[in-house]
Amino acid sequence: MIRLDAERSVSFCDGMRRRDFLHAGALSLLGLGLTDHFRLKAAGAIDRGREKNCIFLMLVGGPSQLDLWDMKPNAPSEIRGPYKPIRTNVPGIEISEIFPRMARQADKYALLRSCYHTAAAVHDTGHQMMQTGRLFQGGIEHPSVGCVLSKLRGPRGDAPPHVLLPRPIGATGGNMPHGHSAGFLGKQYDPFILNSDPSQPNFRVPDMLPPDYITAARTDRRRRLREMVDGSVAELESAFKASQDARLLDDNFNQAYTLMSSAKMREAFDLTKEDEKTRDRYGRNRFGMSCLLARRMIERGVRYVTINMFETVFNEITWDIHGSAPFSPIACYRDLVGPMFDNGYSSLLEDLHDRGLLEDTLVVATGEFGRTPKINPAGGRDHWPQCWTMLMAGGGVRGGQVIGSSDEIGAYPKDRPVAPGEVAATICHSLGIEPETELPGVQGRPIRVVEHGINPIHELF
Amino acid sequence: MKRAILILMALAFGIWSNAGGGEAIASRAAGKEATSEPLLFDTTRPPAEVTTPADGWSFRNHVIPVLTRLGCNSGACHGALAGKGGFKLTLRGYDPELDFNVLTRQTQGRRVNRNEPSRSLLLLKPTMTIGHGGGKRLDVGSLEYKVLSEWIAGGLTAPAESDARIVGLELSQRSLTLGTGAEAQLRVIARYSDNHREDVTRWVKYSTADAGVATVDDDGKIKVTGHGETAISLWYQSNVSFARVTNPWPREIRPEVFAASPRAGFIDDLVIARLQQLRIAPSDQSSDREFIRRAFLDATGTLPTPGEVAGFLADQSPQKRTKLIDSLLAREEYTDYWTNRFADTLLVSSRLLRDNAMWSFYNWIREGVRTNKPYDRMVREIVTANGNTLENGAANYYVLHKETTELNENFSMAFLGMSITCARCHNHPLEKWTQKQYYQMANLFARIGMKNGTRDGDVQVYSNPFGEVNHPRLGRPLPPAPLDGQTLAFDATIDRREHLANWLTSPSNPYFARSFVNRVWKNFMGRGLVEAVDDMRATNPASNEELLAALTKDFTDHGFDLRHLTRTIMNSAAYQRSATPNETNTQDERYYSRYIPRRLPAEALLDGISQVTGVPTEFAGQPPGTRAMQIPDAKLANYFLTVFGKPPRLITVESERTAEPSVAQALHTINGETLNQKLRSPGGLVDSFVRLGVSDEMAVHHLYLAALSRPPRPDEEARLLAAIRQSDSRRQAIEDIAWALLTSKEFLFNH
Repeated sequence: MIRLDAERSVSFCDGMRRRDFLHAGALSLLGLGLTDHFRLKAAGAIDRGREKNCIFLMLVGGPSQLDLWDMKPNAPSEIRGPYKPIRTNVPGIEISEIFPRMARQADKYALLRSCYHTAAAVHDTGHQMMQTGRLFQGGIEHPSVGCVLSKLRGPRGDAPPHVLLPRPIGATGGNMPHGHSAGFLGKQYDPFILNSDPSQPNFRVPDMLPPDYITAARTDRRRRLREMVDGSVAELESAFKASQDARLLDDNFNQAYTLMSSAKMREAFDLTKEDEKTRDRYGRNRFGMSCLLARRMIERGVRYVTINMFETVFNEITWDIHGSAPFSPIACYRDLVGPMFDNGYSSLLEDLHDRGLLEDTLVVATGEFGRTPKINPAGGRDHWPQCWTMLMAGGGVRGGQVIGSSDEIGAYPKDRPVAPGEVAATICHSLGIEPETELPGVQGRPIRVVEHGINPIHELF
Repeated sequence: MKRAILILMALAFGIWSNAGGGEAIASRAAGKEATSEPLLFDTTRPPAEVTTPADGWSFRNHVIPVLTRLGCNSGACHGALAGKGGFKLTLRGYDPELDFNVLTRQTQGRRVNRNEPSRSLLLLKPTMTIGHGGGKRLDVGSLEYKVLSEWIAGGLTAPAESDARIVGLELSQRSLTLGTGAEAQLRVIARYSDNHREDVTRWVKYSTADAGVATVDDDGKIKVTGHGETAISLWYQSNVSFARVTNPWPREIRPEVFAASPRAGFIDDLVIARLQQLRIAPSDQSSDREFIRRAFLDATGTLPTPGEVAGFLADQSPQKRTKLIDSLLAREEYTDYWTNRFADTLLVSSRLLRDNAMWSFYNWIREGVRTNKPYDRMVREIVTANGNTLENGAANYYVLHKETTELNENFSMAFLGMSITCARCHNHPLEKWTQKQYYQMANLFARIGMKNGTRDGDVQVYSNPFGEVNHPRLGRPLPPAPLDGQTLAFDATIDRREHLANWLTSPSNPYFARSFVNRVWKNFMGRGLVEAVDDMRATNPASNEELLAALTKDFTDHGFDLRHLTRTIMNSAAYQRSATPNETNTQDERYYSRYIPRRLPAEALLDGISQVTGVPTEFAGQPPGTRAMQIPDAKLANYFLTVFGKPPRLITVESERTAEPSVAQALHTINGETLNQKLRSPGGLVDSFVRLGVSDEMAVHHLYLAALSRPPRPDEEARLLAAIRQSDSRRQAIEDIAWALLTSKEFLFNH
């Protein structure tokens, strides 16, 4: 609990004396190192204006197109799989029976049934391409769209511009970067990473507030003392200036102080502020609670939220239904993963819609690839980047439509193939980022946000 | 720019350097004698001038490379696991026999038409004469069309065991120095087992390691885009090589700068030569204060005490740094530190082992490090380990790796510094490793038996007389062989792991010692000569290849002695340079012109905080006084260690450990209990200062020496003393000063 009044006056090492005030926000007003952008915006309330947000749901593991959103009920049984299609509230659109709640609001999202990529069929490449629009080559790591947004727009008030929930993707077999970070833009544009499981009963962001024996005045004194120590050896300062990690450390401290001093952001992470019914509606699991957190983030000014539905594909029930250990069986879609997604995703769309936020918030849900049309001998499906289905809602996207289609067995796009670059271009378009915007790349050479010749999927809007 | 190309073309015909198949790096011999054997054909000539070989085009050696160049057998097209449009080739042609059957036998032979080659689907489709989902890939007038149509007309020669095989790639240049904007054309010649040579420039796959320095197109044309150095790697039918492109920074540095920079041995000769070539001036040498802190942290993961710092500063001997290094190598903390590093690589944890077995493995490693067991012997003992795991700790390696593919892959990461995972399903796309080699290697592990021992937690590991690992596609086992080592007969009497150990630990193994030396080098220098340290592909050359070769040779010449290697590195002037950049090396983190600051490892950080505050950390289940660096078990939960990047030891990969800062770390340092409790703990340092009536001056001095190994500067001291005087609570003020020191970059980083 933060205390709201002073006990005594304290002095600072610069000799000034100040009242020992403890109201929330004091630290940020005192604290230096905030960006000019923030200074300008901090004066008033959050001015959301017409700026758009994005929630990007990375469905780690690679959901099957055939069992979920692009069913082929007339195909042979080894293709069509165990599930049946059901009707949605949009005539002509059918999805899998494992998504009853999604079926009731198909008017809110568009299905893109002709996604594909051409890189190696390992998880990591798809993660890279879906989050950044590009495959990493020639030693260049591209930034995720969320990090591009951080770079171009900065924070909105004291909310970090880009938050990643709940944790970064770990090992998925390829030993490659997964594309959630800022890459060549520099680590200062990396997302704020929660690194904690919001479905735990006593979930909180660790260490958001000082222990009760450290007053805000002491916190502030410590901060000033630390800055003095850091700045006192010139030769070291120049060594640290040349170190990306040292610069990042300074940014991290500034960001930490901003979070601490913002009652609004502390509250954003406090899921106990949501009633039990709401939490049940989202599903009391990591993904459901991450979706709920994402809504709370967007409500408080975060621009971009990345949610990783799973952290790995090994020894965990995920979309990665190879059928044999250490991966998942196809039945897990009905028993666990499907309901988890249905509840989290549907609740998120409902709430954003009810709060009037959906129009300003693009919600993207995609895996890193699809799955083999033919069921394998272990009763599962293997990696298949040649064709899959993704979902887009809000942010100007017209719901209730289907973009593209696949062939009769869901193996290849039949019309309007959608490549990862187009997806990234579409997110940029919705966020109002001009595709020809140039970012400072390696050795200062400009790199376009969206590669020349790649266009957003205009028919979505 | 044109002139540059002309000169390079001239060079191309004059000097051919030689890169033997697997020993591309070992046999670096720029300017080796040109081979006089004429070329069988030359893909850089206009198609009409390319002579058809007397024996016709070979399916294995010509048709497959053409299909690869055209992209037909790529993963996005017919090389996909399920093929495309009912036509399936093996990924990049890793199985020519299978591809031959698919092309000539399936679909009633419509894919190839001997009587009218131009009516073959193989030619009609990619030229878009008839519809092709993959679009137009082939021109009728091209060399590739000529090869395919002549192979069809010539009678569809099948791949045969007797086909000549590639034994090496020759490059027009192994090393090019060019300015920004310059272009150059690489040329590549494949040398075959029957001694004939072919110019295959058009069919090679090229890629660049750093597109910020130079790019390369599909035809091998290089374009320089920025300053520095990059490698252009080449892949041709699972043979690999690379050319280095250097673009020195455009500035002049007087030769005296390099001549005057101190040198302590071969490391410095080679580092300085590189810096001179790239025009980067080295930083000055570190001060004694900087050096002692750095050396303690890098070699032992501990901070020097104020007494040790004072003693070192007072020592007048010119040899005192060498003496300090020797004394560090003899310390228990050195053993703890390197045991912890080995335990990371070997995945020591109670996740899959009982506590007693985990301890047995840990103690076995620790004893090896303590007695300086040669690295080759240590690894040999792991590879060939048999017996009860509670007695022979090394045997636990196999209990941790019961699954053969996982073992094969973690093993290659740990001891060869390379990932062979790609080759589990198909030939490695960037490397020479084939799927066959992968399963030949896996088959070396086919005969490891395990049964429960007599005691709880004990497992008996033994060598089975039988057992094979099947190649999944062929459905049969392949003769066991360690990657590019000698193949063993199925019925050979030697233990398969014995054979693997012989290959692995041989001083001539091009990967084993090299990858270890690179890891140790990174520990001290902040960056591997090869980055990442577990990506030691032949196509990922070192930033200073000569230096890595020399270090590796020195290491093996000295009996795989880790302490010798440590001593050699720490005594170099390169290691002892200051972290402060000059105007020429601010950008350099690759060529060792200055010491690269880095955040302390999680364990060293926590131990340092415990040491300075005088309050040890308690770890569940560990005896009191155990330091974080001494924790054997990765499963032991500690929030501080986790948030600061101690690896969970789930798979062998360098990126499990991170030294990257994060907001969570900052929050934990500011608000977390770890540091805050130690600062206010009764009996801790601050508490003792207050209770014993230590003066403000002495308290501040002691804190600086303990945390930063230096006294406060006068201005710092004045401000801190003022802060204490003005504070209502002296104790809290000292706590806050200690906090500021322990969270400063100067403390959190080694520099």
